[in-house]
Amino acid sequence: MSQYARYLAQFFLLLLFQVLILNNVGLFWWSQPAGFPVFTPYLYPLFILLLPFEAPVWLLLIIGFACGCTVDAFMNTPGMHAFAMVLIAYLRTNVLSALLPKNMKEYNQLSPSVKTMGWPPFLTYSAFLILIHHSVFFMIELWSFNNIGYLILKIFASTLTTMLLIAVYLLLFSQKANTQR
Amino acid sequence: MRVLISFIQRFFTLILFIGLELLCMVMIAKTNTLQGNELMNSANLFVAFWYKKQSGVRHYFELSRMNDSLLNENTRLRQQLSKQTEFDLLNDSSVSQSLVLNDSTHRIQYAHYTYLKARVVNNSINAASNFITINRGSKDGIEKNMALVSSAGIVGRVVNVSAHFATALSVLNTKQRLSAKLTDGTTSFVYWEEGSSPDELFMKITQAEIKIKKGDSVLTTSYSTLFPADMLVGRVEKVFVIKKDNSRIVHIKPATNFRNMQYVYAIKNDYMEERRKLEDTTEQALKQAPQKK
Repeated sequence: MSQYARYLAQFFLLLLFQVLILNNVGLFWWSQPAGFPVFTPYLYPLFILLLPFEAPVWLLLIIGFACGCTVDAFMNTPGMHAFAMVLIAYLRTNVLSALLPKNMKEYNQLSPSVKTMGWPPFLTYSAFLILIHHSVFFMIELWSFNNIGYLILKIFASTLTTMLLIAVYLLLFSQKANTQR
Repeated sequence: MRVLISFIQRFFTLILFIGLELLCMVMIAKTNTLQGNELMNSANLFVAFWYKKQSGVRHYFELSRMNDSLLNENTRLRQQLSKQTEFDLLNDSSVSQSLVLNDSTHRIQYAHYTYLKARVVNNSINAASNFITINRGSKDGIEKNMALVSSAGIVGRVVNVSAHFATALSVLNTKQRLSAKLTDGTTSFVYWEEGSSPDELFMKITQAEIKIKKGDSVLTTSYSTLFPADMLVGRVEKVFVIKKDNSRIVHIKPATNFRNMQYVYAIKNDYMEERRKLEDTTEQALKQAPQKK
Protein backbone atom coordinates (compact mmCIF):
# COMPACT_ATOMS: atom_id res chain seq x y z
CA MET A 1 0.00 0.00 0.00
CA SER A 2 2.77 2.39 0.95
CA GLN A 3 4.33 1.69 -2.42
CA TYR A 4 1.17 2.79 -4.24
CA ALA A 5 1.01 5.90 -2.08
CA ARG A 6 4.63 6.62 -2.97
CA TYR A 7 3.92 6.34 -6.71
CA LEU A 8 0.87 8.55 -6.36
CA ALA A 9 2.92 11.17 -4.51
CA GLN A 10 5.61 10.93 -7.19
CA PHE A 11 2.98 11.42 -9.89
CA PHE A 12 1.62 14.59 -8.29
CA LEU A 13 5.09 15.92 -7.57
CA LEU A 14 6.18 15.48 -11.20
CA LEU A 15 2.89 16.79 -12.57
CA LEU A 16 2.86 19.95 -10.47
CA PHE A 17 6.56 20.60 -11.05
CA GLN A 18 5.94 20.28 -14.79
CA VAL A 19 2.83 22.42 -14.90
CA LEU A 20 3.61 25.13 -12.39
CA ILE A 21 7.33 25.61 -12.99
CA LEU A 22 8.67 24.03 -16.18
CA ASN A 23 5.84 25.27 -18.42
CA ASN A 24 6.66 28.81 -17.39
CA VAL A 25 10.34 28.60 -18.20
CA GLY A 26 9.68 30.06 -21.65
CA LEU A 27 8.03 33.13 -20.15
CA PHE A 28 11.34 34.57 -19.02
CA TRP A 29 13.75 36.37 -21.25
CA TRP A 30 16.77 34.33 -20.12
CA SER A 31 15.27 31.16 -21.60
CA GLN A 32 16.01 32.47 -25.11
CA PRO A 33 19.56 33.84 -25.22
CA ALA A 34 20.31 35.72 -28.43
CA GLY A 35 16.96 35.01 -30.03
CA PHE A 36 17.13 31.27 -29.49
CA PRO A 37 13.59 30.00 -30.07
CA VAL A 38 11.37 29.10 -27.14
CA PHE A 39 11.21 25.48 -26.02
CA THR A 40 9.80 23.53 -23.07
CA PRO A 41 11.40 20.62 -21.21
CA TYR A 42 8.88 17.88 -20.37
CA LEU A 43 9.92 16.04 -17.24
CA TYR A 44 6.64 14.27 -16.45
CA PRO A 45 7.28 11.18 -18.72
CA LEU A 46 9.85 10.20 -16.09
CA PHE A 47 6.93 8.84 -14.05
CA ILE A 48 6.26 6.05 -16.54
CA LEU A 49 9.99 5.30 -16.80
CA LEU A 50 10.26 4.67 -13.04
CA LEU A 51 7.34 2.22 -12.68
CA PRO A 52 8.34 -1.33 -11.55
CA PHE A 53 9.79 -3.89 -13.97
CA GLU A 54 6.95 -6.36 -13.56
CA ALA A 55 4.18 -3.87 -14.43
CA PRO A 56 2.20 -5.41 -17.34
CA VAL A 57 2.07 -3.52 -20.62
CA TRP A 58 -1.70 -2.98 -20.53
CA LEU A 59 -1.41 -1.29 -17.13
CA LEU A 60 1.44 0.89 -18.39
CA LEU A 61 -0.68 1.90 -21.39
CA ILE A 62 -3.61 2.92 -19.20
CA ILE A 63 -1.39 4.78 -16.72
CA GLY A 64 0.39 6.53 -19.60
CA PHE A 65 -2.92 7.54 -21.12
CA ALA A 66 -4.26 8.89 -17.83
CA CYS A 67 -1.03 10.74 -17.12
CA GLY A 68 -0.94 12.25 -20.62
CA CYS A 69 -4.57 13.30 -20.39
CA THR A 70 -3.96 15.07 -17.09
CA VAL A 71 -1.09 17.06 -18.55
CA ASP A 72 -3.20 17.75 -21.66
CA ALA A 73 -5.94 19.26 -19.52
CA PHE A 74 -3.42 21.62 -17.99
CA MET A 75 -1.92 22.65 -21.30
CA ASN A 76 -4.94 22.82 -23.62
CA THR A 77 -3.47 20.24 -25.98
CA PRO A 78 -6.10 17.44 -25.89
CA GLY A 79 -4.68 14.10 -26.98
CA MET A 80 -1.20 15.27 -27.90
CA HIS A 81 0.63 14.43 -24.68
CA ALA A 82 -1.54 11.33 -24.25
CA PHE A 83 -0.54 10.10 -27.72
CA ALA A 84 3.18 10.43 -27.00
CA MET A 85 2.81 8.90 -23.53
CA VAL A 86 0.89 5.83 -24.76
CA LEU A 87 3.59 5.32 -27.38
CA ILE A 88 6.48 5.33 -24.91
CA ALA A 89 4.49 3.20 -22.45
CA TYR A 90 4.13 0.60 -25.21
CA LEU A 91 7.82 0.72 -26.16
CA ARG A 92 9.13 0.75 -22.57
CA THR A 93 9.19 -3.03 -22.02
CA ASN A 94 10.98 -3.71 -25.31
CA VAL A 95 13.65 -1.08 -24.65
CA LEU A 96 14.21 -2.40 -21.14
CA SER A 97 14.58 -6.03 -22.20
CA ALA A 98 17.05 -4.97 -24.90
CA LEU A 99 19.19 -3.05 -22.42
CA LEU A 100 19.13 -5.38 -19.40
CA PRO A 101 21.74 -8.15 -19.08
CA LYS A 102 19.34 -10.59 -17.36
CA ASN A 103 15.80 -11.64 -18.20
CA MET A 104 13.11 -9.17 -17.12
CA LYS A 105 11.43 -11.75 -14.85
CA GLU A 106 14.52 -11.98 -12.64
CA TYR A 107 14.08 -8.39 -11.49
CA ASN A 108 11.31 -9.16 -9.07
CA GLN A 109 9.88 -6.34 -6.96
CA LEU A 110 12.32 -3.83 -8.43
CA SER A 111 11.90 -0.75 -10.56
CA PRO A 112 14.24 0.81 -13.12
CA SER A 113 16.65 3.11 -11.36
CA VAL A 114 20.32 4.00 -11.23
CA LYS A 115 20.88 1.43 -8.53
CA THR A 116 19.29 -1.52 -10.31
CA MET A 117 20.60 -0.68 -13.80
CA GLY A 118 23.64 1.56 -13.37
CA TRP A 119 24.07 5.06 -14.78
CA PRO A 120 24.86 4.38 -18.48
CA PRO A 121 22.03 1.89 -19.17
CA PHE A 122 19.49 3.98 -17.29
CA LEU A 123 20.45 7.16 -19.10
CA THR A 124 20.35 5.36 -22.47
CA TYR A 125 16.94 3.95 -21.64
CA SER A 126 15.50 7.27 -20.53
CA ALA A 127 17.18 9.32 -23.29
CA PHE A 128 15.81 7.00 -25.98
CA LEU A 129 12.24 7.09 -24.72
CA ILE A 130 12.33 10.81 -23.92
CA LEU A 131 13.64 11.54 -27.42
CA ILE A 132 10.75 9.53 -28.91
CA HIS A 133 8.24 11.28 -26.66
CA HIS A 134 9.53 14.76 -27.52
CA SER A 135 9.80 14.09 -31.28
CA VAL A 136 6.28 12.71 -31.48
CA PHE A 137 4.82 15.44 -29.29
CA PHE A 138 6.45 18.37 -31.07
CA MET A 139 5.63 16.92 -34.49
CA ILE A 140 1.96 16.59 -33.56
CA GLU A 141 1.94 20.02 -31.98
CA LEU A 142 3.49 21.78 -34.97
CA TRP A 143 1.70 19.56 -37.53
CA SER A 144 3.85 20.68 -40.45
CA PHE A 145 7.37 20.25 -41.77
CA ASN A 146 7.62 23.77 -43.20
CA ASN A 147 9.94 24.85 -40.46
CA ILE A 148 11.90 21.62 -40.06
CA GLY A 149 15.08 23.22 -38.76
CA TYR A 150 13.19 24.82 -35.93
CA LEU A 151 11.37 21.56 -35.18
CA ILE A 152 14.64 19.62 -34.88
CA LEU A 153 16.23 22.36 -32.79
CA LYS A 154 13.24 22.40 -30.46
CA ILE A 155 13.23 18.61 -30.07
CA PHE A 156 16.94 18.44 -29.26
CA ALA A 157 17.01 21.46 -26.96
CA SER A 158 14.02 20.12 -25.02
CA THR A 159 15.45 16.58 -24.83
CA LEU A 160 18.77 17.90 -23.56
CA THR A 161 17.19 20.00 -20.82
CA THR A 162 14.84 17.17 -19.87
CA MET A 163 17.80 14.78 -19.54
CA LEU A 164 19.62 17.28 -17.33
CA LEU A 165 16.53 17.55 -15.13
CA ILE A 166 16.21 13.75 -15.00
CA ALA A 167 19.83 13.46 -13.84
CA VAL A 168 19.17 16.03 -11.13
CA TYR A 169 15.97 14.25 -10.10
CA LEU A 170 17.80 10.92 -9.82
CA LEU A 171 20.61 12.44 -7.77
CA LEU A 172 18.07 14.00 -5.43
CA PHE A 173 15.73 11.06 -4.95
CA SER A 174 17.67 7.82 -5.56
CA GLN A 175 19.32 7.92 -2.11
CA LYS A 176 15.94 7.92 -0.44
CA ALA A 177 14.76 4.99 -2.56
CA ASN A 178 17.83 2.98 -1.60
CA THR A 179 17.15 3.16 2.11
CA GLN A 180 13.59 1.99 1.63
CA ARG A 181 14.56 -1.14 -0.19
CA MET B 1 -16.53 -16.89 -31.17
CA ARG B 2 -13.85 -18.85 -29.31
CA VAL B 3 -11.36 -17.97 -31.99
CA LEU B 4 -12.23 -14.31 -31.58
CA ILE B 5 -11.77 -14.45 -27.80
CA SER B 6 -8.42 -16.21 -28.06
CA PHE B 7 -7.37 -13.68 -30.70
CA ILE B 8 -8.27 -10.80 -28.39
CA GLN B 9 -6.44 -12.48 -25.50
CA ARG B 10 -3.33 -12.92 -27.59
CA PHE B 11 -3.18 -9.43 -29.00
CA PHE B 12 -4.78 -7.67 -26.03
CA THR B 13 -1.96 -5.18 -25.44
CA LEU B 14 -1.61 -4.38 -29.12
CA ILE B 15 -5.37 -3.82 -29.46
CA LEU B 16 -5.37 -1.65 -26.34
CA PHE B 17 -2.40 0.32 -27.67
CA ILE B 18 -4.01 0.97 -31.05
CA GLY B 19 -7.34 1.77 -29.41
CA LEU B 20 -5.84 4.35 -27.07
CA GLU B 21 -3.80 5.95 -29.86
CA LEU B 22 -6.93 6.21 -32.02
CA LEU B 23 -8.76 7.82 -29.11
CA CYS B 24 -5.94 10.36 -28.81
CA MET B 25 -6.10 11.08 -32.54
CA VAL B 26 -9.84 11.71 -32.31
CA MET B 27 -9.23 14.15 -29.46
CA ILE B 28 -6.50 15.93 -31.42
CA ALA B 29 -8.71 16.17 -34.50
CA LYS B 30 -11.57 17.59 -32.44
CA THR B 31 -9.41 20.39 -31.04
CA ASN B 32 -8.50 21.66 -34.46
CA THR B 33 -12.06 22.75 -35.17
CA LEU B 34 -13.27 26.19 -34.21
CA GLN B 35 -15.56 24.78 -31.54
CA GLY B 36 -12.61 23.43 -29.58
CA ASN B 37 -12.93 20.62 -27.10
CA GLU B 38 -15.33 20.74 -24.23
CA LEU B 39 -13.81 18.03 -22.07
CA MET B 40 -10.18 18.78 -21.61
CA ASN B 41 -9.09 22.35 -21.19
CA SER B 42 -7.68 24.49 -18.45
CA ALA B 43 -11.13 25.95 -17.78
CA ASN B 44 -12.03 22.88 -15.73
CA LEU B 45 -12.11 23.26 -11.97
CA PHE B 46 -9.23 21.03 -10.90
CA VAL B 47 -6.77 22.54 -13.34
CA ALA B 48 -7.90 26.10 -12.74
CA PHE B 49 -7.53 25.64 -8.98
CA TRP B 50 -3.79 25.03 -9.35
CA TYR B 51 -3.33 27.80 -11.84
CA LYS B 52 -5.12 30.20 -9.52
CA LYS B 53 -2.78 29.29 -6.66
CA GLN B 54 0.23 29.82 -8.91
CA SER B 55 -0.98 33.14 -10.22
CA GLY B 56 -1.58 34.32 -6.66
CA VAL B 57 2.15 34.01 -6.00
CA ARG B 58 3.16 35.72 -9.22
CA HIS B 59 0.55 38.39 -8.70
CA TYR B 60 2.22 39.48 -5.49
CA PHE B 61 5.62 39.93 -7.10
CA GLU B 62 4.34 41.86 -10.08
CA LEU B 63 2.23 44.45 -8.30
CA SER B 64 4.49 47.40 -9.06
CA ARG B 65 4.64 46.67 -12.76
CA MET B 66 0.90 46.33 -12.88
CA ASN B 67 0.51 49.66 -11.18
CA ASP B 68 2.62 51.24 -13.93
CA SER B 69 0.62 49.65 -16.72
CA LEU B 70 -2.65 50.84 -15.17
CA LEU B 71 -1.27 54.37 -14.86
CA ASN B 72 -0.25 54.31 -18.52
CA GLU B 73 -3.67 53.13 -19.52
CA ASN B 74 -5.31 55.83 -17.46
CA THR B 75 -3.21 58.49 -19.15
CA ARG B 76 -4.09 57.16 -22.56
CA LEU B 77 -7.79 57.05 -21.79
CA ARG B 78 -7.72 60.57 -20.38
CA GLN B 79 -6.05 61.80 -23.53
CA GLN B 80 -8.67 60.11 -25.66
CA LEU B 81 -11.40 61.61 -23.54
CA SER B 82 -9.99 65.12 -23.89
CA LYS B 83 -9.86 64.71 -27.68
CA GLN B 84 -13.48 63.65 -27.66
CA THR B 85 -14.65 66.70 -25.74
CA GLU B 86 -12.70 69.07 -28.00
CA PHE B 87 -14.37 67.45 -30.95
CA ASP B 88 -17.75 68.01 -29.38
CA LEU B 89 -17.14 71.68 -28.83
CA LEU B 90 -16.15 72.27 -32.44
CA ASN B 91 -19.25 70.59 -33.79
CA ASP B 92 -22.76 71.10 -32.79
CA SER B 93 -22.63 68.60 -29.96
CA SER B 94 -26.15 67.17 -30.16
CA VAL B 95 -24.85 63.97 -31.80
CA SER B 96 -22.54 62.77 -29.09
CA GLN B 97 -24.81 63.47 -26.19
CA SER B 98 -27.11 60.53 -26.69
CA LEU B 99 -26.00 57.14 -27.86
CA VAL B 100 -28.86 56.58 -30.26
CA LEU B 101 -30.29 59.40 -32.29
CA ASN B 102 -33.19 58.27 -34.34
CA ASP B 103 -35.08 60.74 -36.48
CA SER B 104 -36.45 60.67 -39.99
CA THR B 105 -33.28 61.78 -41.78
CA HIS B 106 -30.46 59.90 -40.11
CA ARG B 107 -29.77 57.33 -37.50
CA ILE B 108 -26.51 57.17 -35.63
CA GLN B 109 -25.75 54.27 -33.41
CA TYR B 110 -22.48 53.48 -31.74
CA ALA B 111 -21.28 49.89 -31.69
CA HIS B 112 -22.34 48.15 -28.53
CA TYR B 113 -19.45 46.75 -26.61
CA THR B 114 -19.54 45.53 -23.03
CA TYR B 115 -16.25 45.40 -21.13
CA LEU B 116 -15.66 42.90 -18.33
CA LYS B 117 -12.46 42.77 -16.35
CA ALA B 118 -10.68 39.50 -15.57
CA ARG B 119 -7.43 38.30 -14.09
CA VAL B 120 -5.04 36.07 -16.00
CA VAL B 121 -4.43 32.89 -14.02
CA ASN B 122 -2.43 31.00 -16.62
CA ASN B 123 -0.61 32.00 -19.73
CA SER B 124 1.67 30.31 -22.24
CA ILE B 125 3.87 31.61 -25.03
CA ASN B 126 5.98 28.65 -26.10
CA ALA B 127 3.48 26.29 -27.73
CA ALA B 128 2.26 26.27 -31.33
CA SER B 129 -1.10 27.55 -30.10
CA ASN B 130 -0.93 29.51 -26.90
CA PHE B 131 -3.73 29.76 -24.38
CA ILE B 132 -4.68 32.11 -21.60
CA THR B 133 -6.87 31.07 -18.67
CA ILE B 134 -8.84 33.82 -16.95
CA ASN B 135 -10.69 33.73 -13.65
CA ARG B 136 -14.11 34.68 -15.03
CA GLY B 137 -16.61 32.24 -16.49
CA SER B 138 -20.16 31.90 -17.68
CA LYS B 139 -21.48 33.01 -14.27
CA ASP B 140 -19.74 36.35 -14.76
CA GLY B 141 -21.10 36.74 -18.26
CA ILE B 142 -18.17 35.45 -20.29
CA GLU B 143 -19.21 33.77 -23.52
CA LYS B 144 -17.47 32.01 -26.34
CA ASN B 145 -15.91 34.24 -29.00
CA MET B 146 -15.59 37.26 -26.79
CA ALA B 147 -12.47 39.30 -27.50
CA LEU B 148 -9.73 39.70 -24.90
CA VAL B 149 -7.68 42.89 -24.71
CA SER B 150 -5.07 44.02 -22.23
CA SER B 151 -4.58 47.59 -21.09
CA ALA B 152 -2.13 48.06 -23.95
CA GLY B 153 -3.54 46.12 -26.89
CA ILE B 154 -5.28 43.03 -28.15
CA VAL B 155 -4.73 39.60 -26.59
CA GLY B 156 -7.00 36.87 -27.99
CA ARG B 157 -10.38 35.22 -28.32
CA VAL B 158 -12.31 33.16 -25.74
CA VAL B 159 -12.70 29.54 -26.88
CA ASN B 160 -13.84 27.60 -23.81
CA VAL B 161 -15.98 28.64 -20.88
CA SER B 162 -16.77 26.87 -17.62
CA ALA B 163 -18.76 28.22 -14.68
CA HIS B 164 -15.92 30.15 -13.07
CA PHE B 165 -13.10 30.12 -15.62
CA ALA B 166 -12.51 30.57 -19.33
CA THR B 167 -9.68 29.82 -21.74
CA ALA B 168 -8.76 32.03 -24.65
CA LEU B 169 -6.66 31.39 -27.73
CA SER B 170 -4.02 34.11 -27.79
CA VAL B 171 -2.96 36.00 -30.92
CA LEU B 172 0.25 33.95 -30.69
CA ASN B 173 -1.13 30.96 -32.55
CA THR B 174 -0.40 29.40 -35.90
CA LYS B 175 -3.98 28.52 -36.73
CA GLN B 176 -5.92 31.72 -36.99
CA ARG B 177 -5.17 35.08 -38.52
CA LEU B 178 -6.40 38.47 -37.48
CA SER B 179 -7.62 41.16 -39.83
CA ALA B 180 -5.59 44.34 -39.34
CA LYS B 181 -4.77 47.64 -41.00
CA LEU B 182 -2.11 50.31 -41.08
CA THR B 183 -3.01 53.85 -40.09
CA ASP B 184 -3.53 54.86 -43.73
CA GLY B 185 -6.21 52.18 -44.13
CA THR B 186 -4.28 49.45 -45.93
CA THR B 187 -5.88 46.24 -44.73
CA SER B 188 -4.11 42.93 -44.43
CA PHE B 189 -3.88 40.23 -41.79
CA VAL B 190 -1.61 39.69 -38.84
CA TYR B 191 -0.23 36.23 -38.15
CA TRP B 192 2.31 34.52 -35.94
CA GLU B 193 4.79 31.80 -36.78
CA GLU B 194 5.83 28.94 -34.56
CA GLY B 195 9.44 29.47 -33.64
CA SER B 196 9.34 33.23 -33.67
CA SER B 197 9.56 35.00 -30.36
CA PRO B 198 6.43 36.16 -28.50
CA ASP B 199 7.56 39.74 -29.13
CA GLU B 200 6.97 39.45 -32.86
CA LEU B 201 3.91 39.35 -35.09
CA PHE B 202 3.93 39.46 -38.89
CA MET B 203 1.87 41.16 -41.54
CA LYS B 204 2.14 40.77 -45.30
CA ILE B 205 1.65 43.84 -47.49
CA THR B 206 1.37 43.16 -51.21
CA GLN B 207 0.75 46.70 -52.45
CA ALA B 208 4.15 48.15 -53.36
CA GLU B 209 3.06 51.79 -53.27
CA ILE B 210 2.22 51.88 -49.57
CA LYS B 211 4.81 53.62 -47.44
CA ILE B 212 5.61 51.91 -44.18
CA LYS B 213 7.79 53.48 -41.54
CA LYS B 214 9.22 52.04 -38.38
CA GLY B 215 6.95 52.90 -35.47
CA ASP B 216 3.72 53.02 -37.47
CA SER B 217 0.86 51.57 -35.51
CA VAL B 218 -1.13 48.56 -36.66
CA LEU B 219 -4.81 48.55 -35.71
CA THR B 220 -7.72 46.12 -35.80
CA THR B 221 -10.33 46.56 -38.52
CA SER B 222 -14.09 46.47 -38.44
CA TYR B 223 -14.02 43.39 -40.72
CA SER B 224 -13.57 41.14 -37.75
CA THR B 225 -16.64 40.65 -35.60
CA LEU B 226 -14.50 40.02 -32.54
CA PHE B 227 -12.50 43.13 -31.84
CA PRO B 228 -13.78 46.66 -31.89
CA ALA B 229 -12.22 48.63 -34.75
CA ASP B 230 -9.08 50.72 -34.20
CA MET B 231 -7.65 48.85 -31.24
CA LEU B 232 -3.87 48.78 -31.14
CA VAL B 233 -2.28 45.51 -32.30
CA GLY B 234 1.31 46.70 -32.22
CA ARG B 235 3.92 48.89 -33.84
CA VAL B 236 6.01 48.29 -36.94
CA GLU B 237 9.50 47.20 -36.00
CA LYS B 238 11.12 46.04 -39.25
CA VAL B 239 10.08 45.86 -42.88
CA PHE B 240 11.39 42.96 -44.91
CA VAL B 241 11.07 43.06 -48.72
CA ILE B 242 10.56 39.87 -50.71
CA LYS B 243 12.32 40.48 -54.04
CA LYS B 244 10.32 37.91 -55.97
CA ASP B 245 7.03 39.79 -56.01
CA ASN B 246 7.96 43.04 -54.27
CA SER B 247 5.65 42.30 -51.38
CA ARG B 248 6.72 43.11 -47.87
CA ILE B 249 6.65 41.23 -44.58
CA VAL B 250 6.18 43.70 -41.76
CA HIS B 251 7.49 42.66 -38.36
CA ILE B 252 5.26 44.05 -35.63
CA LYS B 253 6.08 44.40 -31.96
CA PRO B 254 2.81 43.59 -30.20
CA ALA B 255 1.48 46.29 -27.89
CA THR B 256 0.66 43.66 -25.26
CA ASN B 257 3.54 42.12 -23.39
CA PHE B 258 2.48 38.48 -23.51
CA ARG B 259 5.09 37.48 -20.95
CA ASN B 260 3.53 39.21 -17.98
CA MET B 261 -0.14 39.92 -18.53
CA GLN B 262 -1.98 40.35 -15.26
CA TYR B 263 -5.36 41.87 -16.00
CA VAL B 264 -7.35 41.70 -19.22
CA TYR B 265 -10.72 42.94 -20.40
CA ALA B 266 -13.19 40.66 -22.14
CA ILE B 267 -15.23 42.52 -24.73
CA LYS B 268 -18.68 41.45 -25.78
CA ASN B 269 -20.03 42.69 -29.08
CA ASP B 270 -23.79 42.83 -28.74
CA TYR B 271 -24.34 42.86 -32.50
CA MET B 272 -22.01 39.97 -33.30
CA GLU B 273 -24.73 37.34 -33.47
CA GLU B 274 -26.91 39.46 -35.73
CA ARG B 275 -24.02 40.32 -38.04
CA ARG B 276 -22.81 36.72 -38.26
CA LYS B 277 -26.29 35.52 -39.17
CA LEU B 278 -26.67 38.12 -41.87
CA GLU B 279 -23.26 37.43 -43.37
CA ASP B 280 -23.83 33.68 -43.30
CA THR B 281 -27.17 33.92 -45.09
CA THR B 282 -25.59 36.19 -47.72
CA GLU B 283 -22.80 33.71 -48.26
CA GLN B 284 -25.21 30.81 -48.54
CA ALA B 285 -27.35 32.70 -51.01
CA LEU B 286 -24.26 33.31 -53.13
CA LYS B 287 -23.34 29.65 -53.00
CA GLN B 288 -26.79 28.49 -53.98
CA ALA B 289 -27.23 30.96 -56.83
CA PRO B 290 -25.22 29.12 -59.52
CA GLN B 291 -26.90 25.81 -58.73
CA LYS B 292 -30.29 27.10 -59.72
CA LYS B 293 -29.22 27.78 -63.30
